[in-house]
Amino acid sequence: MQTYLIAAYIIAWLGVCIYLVVLAMRMRGVRTELAAVAELVREQLEQKEQ
Amino acid sequence: MALAKQISQTTDGHVVGGQRLARRRWPLVSVILGVLTALTMSLSIWLIFVYTPIDALQGETQRILYFHVPTAWAGMLSFVIMAGLGIIYLFKPDERLDWLARASAEVGVVFLTITLILGATWGKPIWGAWWVWDARLTATLILWFMYVGYLMLRSYMGRTVESARGGAVIGIIGAIDVPIIYLSVNWWRGQHPVTQIGTQGALPPQAVLTIMVALVAFTLLYAFMMVQAYQLQRLQTLAQRLRIQVE
Repeated sequence: MQTYLIAAYIIAWLGVCIYLVVLAMRMRGVRTELAAVAELVREQLEQKEQ
Repeated sequence: MALAKQISQTTDGHVVGGQRLARRRWPLVSVILGVLTALTMSLSIWLIFVYTPIDALQGETQRILYFHVPTAWAGMLSFVIMAGLGIIYLFKPDERLDWLARASAEVGVVFLTITLILGATWGKPIWGAWWVWDARLTATLILWFMYVGYLMLRSYMGRTVESARGGAVIGIIGAIDVPIIYLSVNWWRGQHPVTQIGTQGALPPQAVLTIMVALVAFTLLYAFMMVQAYQLQRLQTLAQRLRIQVE
């Protein structure tokens, strides 16, 4: 009986934690991309001004 | 429309806005929700494992229900919120509503998956089967498929107005399943236990308190996850627009 209880709580917490980790990784990825693209836009603008 | 305003600003403002958004890590609302979730979740775990007496018939396995019920609540709440946002979106299209709906679907599918797994781990020792084709279980599985279908459709159609409109319609149609899930135990005779919260004498007061605290904890966890998922949607849209500008 206790095995099912332990398994259930491990699965629940793993599910929540895995989703939060995946979300944090996606967020980091998009922030990195955002910074890189913003830099590219800035370079393009500087080139146009010159 | 904060992001839309930033995007429609001068190109210089655009770049600065992008970099500022890329740097911003934890909004205040995330911190507050995170702390509140941690506190209520800790209290909830203490109540589940220390305060509440063991069920005389089901034994330790009954404690699974203190997580099963709140995750099911969060999963269904997600679809109701999606439907509400969908209705507003159809009348007053605003991309922030769409970001919220997508975030809600993502978080909802996580909670509903956990609900189904927890239900199976409770069902095996109590019913002797991981799964039975009971009305409530089947209706919940249908809701789960609707979530997955919604996310697949949105992913396939990309970030367009048509995609947002289609998503809003699916959200509204999907929400019809929520009252069916809730009332299915009264409408059809099945194996799933009937609703015991609110029924006089059905549960000891300690169990009622525990489940209430767990419901609050999971609602806060849902809100915390929603804020993170919403931020992600916002940043992804901005990144896509900047990418288009570069190309």
